[in-house]
Amino acid sequence: MQVSLNWLSTHIDLSGYTTAQLSDLLTFAGVEVEGIEERGVSSDKVVVAQIKEFVQHPNADRLSVCQVDDGSGSLRQIVCGAKNFQAGDKVPLALPGASLPGGFEINEGKLRGVDSRGMMCSGKELGIGDDHGGLLILDASLVPGTPFSQVMPGDVLFDLEITPNRPDLLSHLGLARELAALTGLPLKGERDYTRSVASVRQAEPDEVTISDTDLCSLYCARVIRGIRVGPSPDWLRQRLESIGMRSINNIVDITNYVLMEMGQPLHAFDLSKLTGGVQVRRAAAGETIKALDEADYSLEAGDLVIADASSALAIAGVMGGLESSVTDTTTDILLEAAHFSPPAIRKTSRRLGLISDSSYRFERGVDAAQTLGAADLAVRLILEVAGGQEDGGARFAGSVHLERREVKLDTQRALRLLGMPDLTPDEMSAVLTKLGLEATDDSTFRIPTYRGDLVRSVDLVEEISRVIGLDRVPECVTAVAVPSDAADRAYDLSMHLRQALAHRGFNEAQTLRLISQAQVADGLTTTDAMPVKSPLSEDHAFLRPSIVPGLISTAAHNIRHSQNRLRFFELGRVFIKLPNGQVREDERMGLLLSGPVSSPSWHGKDPAIADVFDLKGIIESLPGVNGSVTELKRLKDEGNFMLKCEWRAGNRVIGWIGQLHPRRAREIDARNAVFVAELSLSALRQGTSIAKFEELPKFPSVSRDVAMEVAADLPHSKVTSFFAGIKEPLLISTKIFDVFSDPTGTRMPKDRKSLAYSLTYRAPDKTLETADVDAVHQRVLSSLEKALPVVIRR
Amino acid sequence: MIAELDALQTEALAAIPTASDETSLEALRVQYLGKKGSVTLLGAGMKDVPPDQKKAVGAKLNEVRTAMTDAIVARQLQLQAEKDAKAIEGIDVTLPGRNYGGVGTLHPLTQVRDLAIRTLRRMGFILADGPEIETEWHCFDALNTPPEHPARNEKDTFYLHDGRLLRTHTSSVQIRTMEIAKTLPIRIIAPGAAYRRDEIDATHLSVFNQLEGLYVAENVSLAELKGTLVAFFREIFGAGTAVRFRPHFFPFTEPSLEIDVKLEAKGKDARWIEIAGCGMVDPAVFSEICAKRGDKLFDPEKVTGFAFGMGLERLAMILHGISDIRHLIENDVRFLSQF
Repeated sequence: MQVSLNWLSTHIDLSGYTTAQLSDLLTFAGVEVEGIEERGVSSDKVVVAQIKEFVQHPNADRLSVCQVDDGSGSLRQIVCGAKNFQAGDKVPLALPGASLPGGFEINEGKLRGVDSRGMMCSGKELGIGDDHGGLLILDASLVPGTPFSQVMPGDVLFDLEITPNRPDLLSHLGLARELAALTGLPLKGERDYTRSVASVRQAEPDEVTISDTDLCSLYCARVIRGIRVGPSPDWLRQRLESIGMRSINNIVDITNYVLMEMGQPLHAFDLSKLTGGVQVRRAAAGETIKALDEADYSLEAGDLVIADASSALAIAGVMGGLESSVTDTTTDILLEAAHFSPPAIRKTSRRLGLISDSSYRFERGVDAAQTLGAADLAVRLILEVAGGQEDGGARFAGSVHLERREVKLDTQRALRLLGMPDLTPDEMSAVLTKLGLEATDDSTFRIPTYRGDLVRSVDLVEEISRVIGLDRVPECVTAVAVPSDAADRAYDLSMHLRQALAHRGFNEAQTLRLISQAQVADGLTTTDAMPVKSPLSEDHAFLRPSIVPGLISTAAHNIRHSQNRLRFFELGRVFIKLPNGQVREDERMGLLLSGPVSSPSWHGKDPAIADVFDLKGIIESLPGVNGSVTELKRLKDEGNFMLKCEWRAGNRVIGWIGQLHPRRAREIDARNAVFVAELSLSALRQGTSIAKFEELPKFPSVSRDVAMEVAADLPHSKVTSFFAGIKEPLLISTKIFDVFSDPTGTRMPKDRKSLAYSLTYRAPDKTLETADVDAVHQRVLSSLEKALPVVIRR
Repeated sequence: MIAELDALQTEALAAIPTASDETSLEALRVQYLGKKGSVTLLGAGMKDVPPDQKKAVGAKLNEVRTAMTDAIVARQLQLQAEKDAKAIEGIDVTLPGRNYGGVGTLHPLTQVRDLAIRTLRRMGFILADGPEIETEWHCFDALNTPPEHPARNEKDTFYLHDGRLLRTHTSSVQIRTMEIAKTLPIRIIAPGAAYRRDEIDATHLSVFNQLEGLYVAENVSLAELKGTLVAFFREIFGAGTAVRFRPHFFPFTEPSLEIDVKLEAKGKDARWIEIAGCGMVDPAVFSEICAKRGDKLFDPEKVTGFAFGMGLERLAMILHGISDIRHLIENDVRFLSQF
C-alpha cells in the first residue's frame, strides 16, 4: 500500500523523525517497508523564478542564456538546455547549494564558457513526475522568490506490505494510530470518526432491505440531491495522485479519499438509475452485471449483490456496476457505507478474478464501528465540494450494535513464552494500553473494534513482543539430545551415495519433479504418471514417476552445449501410480552415463567409450550395493529403452538399468550410447550393515585357471551359481578374467564363446601342497562338466 | 707374479669406471674375476709360488681382488644412480595430472542443505520427513490456515484430481511429526521439496526446496528461538554476521517473525537480506493436533514450541552469489562444476 507522509502528518506530527527512522519504526513493528520514494524538495534553495529574457548561447546551439528574477532584486544568469519556455514564464529554480532528489548538488559554474548560477528544473528533476520534456512551467500568479516547497510541498511515499492480520493498517488513519502507539505521540484533533455520527435512523423497508444479514451486517445509505459532478479541487486531486490514484471526478474521488483515509470502502450510485429501494441480497444464479471495469460478470447464487427492484447494481464490496455509476450528468446520488462478511467477499472476488481496493479490505476485515462515521465524512466533503443537499439523513439496515471483546492476558505464560522473566505486568499492560486496549482489571483487556486479530492471550503476547522490540528478547541456545531416527539414517546414506558418485566423476543434477507428458515416456521404471489438476503449462503437468526423464533432459541440455562426456545422478522423490489409483512416494537415485569414461588428455590415448558394464561397475561399487550379492535380470525391451534389466538382491528388486534406445538417443543428438539406471534408496538401505571382522587367513592361497568353451547364450551367472553351490571347502573364490567370441566364426564357431575363470584354493589350517590343489581342482572341473554344457580346454 | 697382479689391477681399475653399462661392467668382472678370469687364473698359480713368498703373493692377490670388486660395486652403484636419474629425466611436471573418471560435484543446493543440516544436528535436531502429496488438513487446516485463506485456491496451489494437493511448504512435516510422536521433546528439521503455482523466472520455481524446523517441549521460549537461529546463521554466514528479527505474520505461529542477515554483495554496501520466517507455534496448531490424536501430549496449556522455515535455493543463491534461480535446475555442467 502506498502511504503519503504528508497525508499521515494530518493525523500525527512526525516532524521529529527522519525518513529512515520512520522506516525502521514501521519495519520493527511488523510493517515491511518495500520502498521509499522522496518527492519534491523541502530545501529553501529551490524557489519560484521568472524568466525575464533569454538569448542563444554563443558556443552551443542547444543552450540558452537566461536572465531570471529570483526575487532577490537583481537578475540571475542561468544557462538552460530546455526549449519549452517563453520570456515571462515562471519556473522552479535551484540555487547553488540546493540538493535535489537523488542527491544531486547544484553548484555555480560555467557551461561552455558562460557563467550559470543555478539550474531551472523539470518536474522529474524535482521528483514530482516523470515528465522530462522540459522545464516545469508554474502558475503565472506565483511571486518570484517564493520557496518551491510552499508551492508543491515535498512528500515521502512509503510502499508498505501490510500483513493479512492487520487490515486496520490499510488506511492513513490506521497507520497514524499505530505510529502514535509506537512513538507515544498524540493523534491530532478530533478524528475519532466512530463517534461523530450525526443522526441516524433505521431505514424503511422501501429504502434499504438486507435479505442476508449473515453476509451484510450493516448497510447505511445517504441521499444527496442537486450536486454538481466535476473535477476535484486541487487538494483532493493532489492527495489521491500523491499515492498513485487517478482523479476521476469529485464524487468518486471523495469515496476514494475516505477509503484511503479510514479504510472504509464506500460506493456512490446515481440515484436516478435506481428503481425503488436498495436491496442487499444473494445473486440469482446466472445473473449478470457489467461492472465499472466495463467487463461482464456472471454471478452465482453465493455472491452478494446490491440491487434495486429490477436488477443488480453492484457486486457487493467488490465493484460497482457501470449502469448505476456516477457520471458527469448525475445530480442526485445514493451513498453506500456497509459492512460485508470477509469470506463472502473473498469468495466472490477470487472466483471472478476481480480484486479491488474495496474487496482487498473487506476480505481482510473492515472495522464495522466506523461505517457510519465514514459515511458522515464523505457526506460532509461532498456537500463542501460538490454542493447539493442531503435528503432524509442517515438511514441504515442491519445492526449498529457492536460489542468489544475482552481478552485475558496470562502474564506468567507470557513471560515463559518470551523467555523474558524480568518483564513486569505493568510494562506489558502499558504496551497494550498504548495500542488502544483498555485494561478492565489487572490482566483483562478490552480490545478496540479495529483489532479483530486480538482474540487470545498469545495474540496479546505478540503485541507486547512487537512493541517492546524483538531486540529486547534475549538470545539463548539450548541443545537437547534427541535419538536419531529413520530419516537421519536415510539422509546419511543419501549423502554417502552422493559423495561416492561425485568421487567417481558424476555431477549431481537437481531436476523439477513436475514434467511433461512427453517426458513421462522417458520413465525407466514406469510410464504411468499422476497428473496435477491445474498445471502451469504442459511442460509441468505430471508428477515424475522416475528420475530418469529429468536426467535425459539434463543430458540433452548439456549435449546442446557441446558436452559429450555425460555423467549425472540425482537423488529425490518419485511418484508411483498404484493400480488402485493411489500414489506411492519413493526415494530414488537415478544415474546417466554416456561417452568417454575419462576426459581426453595429453597422453594421446583415446579413452574408451562407456558401455553398460561401466555403469554396472560404478553401481556395484556404491554403498548399499557393494557387499551384497546382486544380479541383473533382463526384462522385455519396450518404449524408449533396451537392454532393460531389473536389479535384484535375492528376492528384492533394488533398481533398474538399461540403455536409452538409439532412436531416442538420436533425438537428443547423443553421440554415444546412453545408459541409465534407477535405484530405490530404501532397498539400498537394507543393503547396508555394520561390517563384522573376519580373521585374516594364516596360510597362502593357490590359484588355478580354467578356460571353457560354451554355447554363446550360456550366461556367466550359470557358471558362478555352479561355483557358489559346489561343496568344496577349499575353493575360496572364483573370478572371470576373459570372455572371447569370434563373430566371424574363424577362430571359434559363431554360436560358441570362451569363458576363462581363475579359481582360488586355500586351507584354513595348512599350506596346500600342489598335489592337494590339483586333486580338488580336477574334482571341480569334472563336476562342472557334468553340471553344465561346457567343454573345458585342458 | 706380484708385478703381473699389479699390472692387472692398474688395467682393471682404469677400465671399470668407464664401463658404459651393466653388461660391459659384467663383462669386465668375468674378464678379471670370473672362473676363467685373468686374476682367477693367476690365483691358480699360487701352488707354484715358493713358500716364503706365498704370504706376500696371497695378500697381494686378495688386495687386487678386493680393489677390483670394490671398483665394480662402486661403478654398479654409479650406473644405477644414473639410470634412476634418467627415469625422471625430461618430465614436465607442469603437465596436468591424469584423471580417473574426472571430478564430479555435489549440486550447490545439496551442499547448502548439508551445511545447514550438519549445523542444526550439532544443536540436537534430528531429521524428519513427510509426503509431498498432502491432504488439505496437513497443509492448511492443522496449520491454522482458514478455508478461505488466499493460498488455498487452484491459482496458487497445485491440486490433484482426488482433492489432495502438492504441499506448499514443508510446514506440513511439523504436523506429520506431531501426529505420530510418542514423547516430547520434538526437535526436528525437515528438508524437502514444496510446490507453488509460480511461473518459473529468475527468482521463482514452481518446485523448490525448504528446510523446516520444529522444537516442541514444555516452556520453549522466543529467546531460545532467537538464540538458535542467530547461532545457526552465524555458522552459515560467518561468526560476525549481524542477524535481526522483524515481526511478521504467519497463520501457524504467534508471535511470527522474519529474519534478516546483513551481508555484503561484491562491491556493494552491506544490506539486510530476508532469509527465513519463524515464530512460536500457535496454540491453535496444538489444539488441532490434540483433537486429531485424541490425547493431551500437545496440550496447548502445557507445551510451547518454535518453528522456522527457509528457502534453500535462496540460501544457496545468497551464499554463492548465484544471480538466476534457473541455474539450479538447468544442470549445466559448466555451472555445476563451479561448486
